[in-house]
Amino acid sequence: MAYPDRYAMLLSSLPYHGPLFGAKQTPLSRIRLNQRLALLDPLEAEWLRDARRLLEWAQQEPEHTDAEAIMRAKRLIDGIASPFIRDLVTWRLELRTLVAALRRRHRGEPAPRDPRWGFGRWLIRISGHWNEPDFGLAGAFPWLPEAKRLLDRGASVELERLLLGAVWSHLERVSDGHYLDFEAIVIYVLRWDMIARWTKYDGEEAAQRFDGLVEKALSAVEGLHLPAVGPQPERA
Amino acid sequence: MNEFVIALGWAGLFAPMALGAIGSVIGCAVAGQAAIGAMVDTESGYGRYIGVSVMPSSQVIYGIVIMFSLQREVTPQSAPALFGIGLLAGLALLFSAMRQGQACASAIHASKTKPEIFGLSLAPAAIVEGFAVFAFVFALVLAGGIPE
Repeated sequence: MAYPDRYAMLLSSLPYHGPLFGAKQTPLSRIRLNQRLALLDPLEAEWLRDARRLLEWAQQEPEHTDAEAIMRAKRLIDGIASPFIRDLVTWRLELRTLVAALRRRHRGEPAPRDPRWGFGRWLIRISGHWNEPDFGLAGAFPWLPEAKRLLDRGASVELERLLLGAVWSHLERVSDGHYLDFEAIVIYVLRWDMIARWTKYDGEEAAQRFDGLVEKALSAVEGLHLPAVGPQPERA
Repeated sequence: MNEFVIALGWAGLFAPMALGAIGSVIGCAVAGQAAIGAMVDTESGYGRYIGVSVMPSSQVIYGIVIMFSLQREVTPQSAPALFGIGLLAGLALLFSAMRQGQACASAIHASKTKPEIFGLSLAPAAIVEGFAVFAFVFALVLAGGIPE
């Protein structure tokens, strides 16, 4: 975009999002956000769309293998000309690689041999320090020891909160010096996505779904025909 | 050679006005678009946003006054002083207007979320205005000492 004043207009039209964990809903709806992002230059809008395609869980393709997902990520990142967005997306994917490594090790798997199991610059280091609690990366990622502790405890919600908090803090750091520019808009949109994700979590609905899955599994074992996923009438 | 010096003198004479106008154009455009964005997101206080967004227009007024204070016969004796004072005053007005526009845009952005900080959020823009006034006043003072 040739005119930085358009960024000022766009940013001023976006309501303040507030802190992540205090949010009850997104500061504006997805439709309105997309309407306002139409002010972006088409090329910049495409970079932002590609970044969100890589980072939003809802836009992932679960039927793909790790290797396919990594190839897709590399292809999309190579198409993003903005170094700021490239670095942000790369950092997020590296974080997910670290979490994937923690989960694999938690399941008792050995260090991966296929280099296409994760993304970024830490793959060799993770494999080489597989048996160290923090893969020798606690200096670069101070939240790693805590993440391992929470994973060992099975505290999924706390782990999610820790990871989202780490991402939120990283966005805070990289936003320094960006006020009325494209980078500030990118940060806002990524934060909006995080708020959308956090506020969508529903403990009650999750418990109902979990109960449904358990019922389904039990019915399969016992050879009974029970309703699949969904709330059970006898539950309080 | 004299013609070149005289040309510089004329450039210096018009510089505060021209550079001040360029700065005001940029500053008002940035702050103005921020005001438009804020109006999209809010239900009231529109006049306040527009009022803040025109703050960078003062630089072009200072430039006009400096230009008139420098106005005299352009001779080889007066031209270097006209060039020096006019150009530097113009540059000061140009940059102060541009930066003030950004400060105003930030003030609009911040006060939209927290209306109670409206006055305080204008402090950076007011300080930038103060520096523009310095350039303006001392350009006037020095203009009185230019040889005819």
